[in-house]
Amino acid sequence: MHNGEATTIPLSTEAMRANLLRLEREWEMVQESRDRDAIYGYLTAVFELVVCWAKEGKAVRRACRALYLRRHNSEREPEPFAALILCTADRGKLDDRMSSKWSRVLRYAAEFKDLDEPLRDFIKRKGGINKCASRFARRLGRGRQRRDCSPHSTR
Amino acid sequence: MDKILQEIADEAYEVARLRRNGVQPTRDRVFAEVLAELEANGDAMRFVNSKGRIAWKATPRLRDYLKDLELEAEEDLEDEF
Repeated sequence: MHNGEATTIPLSTEAMRANLLRLEREWEMVQESRDRDAIYGYLTAVFELVVCWAKEGKAVRRACRALYLRRHNSEREPEPFAALILCTADRGKLDDRMSSKWSRVLRYAAEFKDLDEPLRDFIKRKGGINKCASRFARRLGRGRQRRDCSPHSTR
Repeated sequence: MDKILQEIADEAYEVARLRRNGVQPTRDRVFAEVLAELEANGDAMRFVNSKGRIAWKATPRLRDYLKDLELEAEEDLEDEF
């Protein structure tokens, strides 16, 4: 375990709260900063947490717990990145479109980013946040599904 | 595990070992307890390292706190001379 093997340490409710608080602090720092790259600090924190939960095979279950702790109702199975953004970013300053775009960017990075490349570098290398969001739609999202189902699809 | 957490966990293991009541605590068990407690306090976080394994590191909050302590100690030292 201490050498980095898969952990069996359960995530207590207090630990979940501490993680959410940490992301909220990252979000506050973005709000206080004038640096346009500050958002990458917050996105990286969200990304690292969900990737870790996914590695433990508990991303969706823990996203549900986070939503429950923050008193958000979720009738459908939550998308973990979107759920954590919903739980930790100030709703007054973030609309649904932006939240959804960031979630797509993070899902794209989760799929294609090398483990040792910083998220910020990856997103910039791929053309920025907007480009990554549309790349996700093309490669992994509904856009791809539509193409796959079209009569002209070769798949 | 990063250097900061390793030091905390090593210390906790030594304390547990010294006060054992006939039961030798395993290193992994003590480390697991310490990490769970640190995570609950917002001082440690799990992450996936560059080898794709779950690892642990100190949170920015704990790093900032330790940095402040270090600066204070340096200032105190300068005041003494």
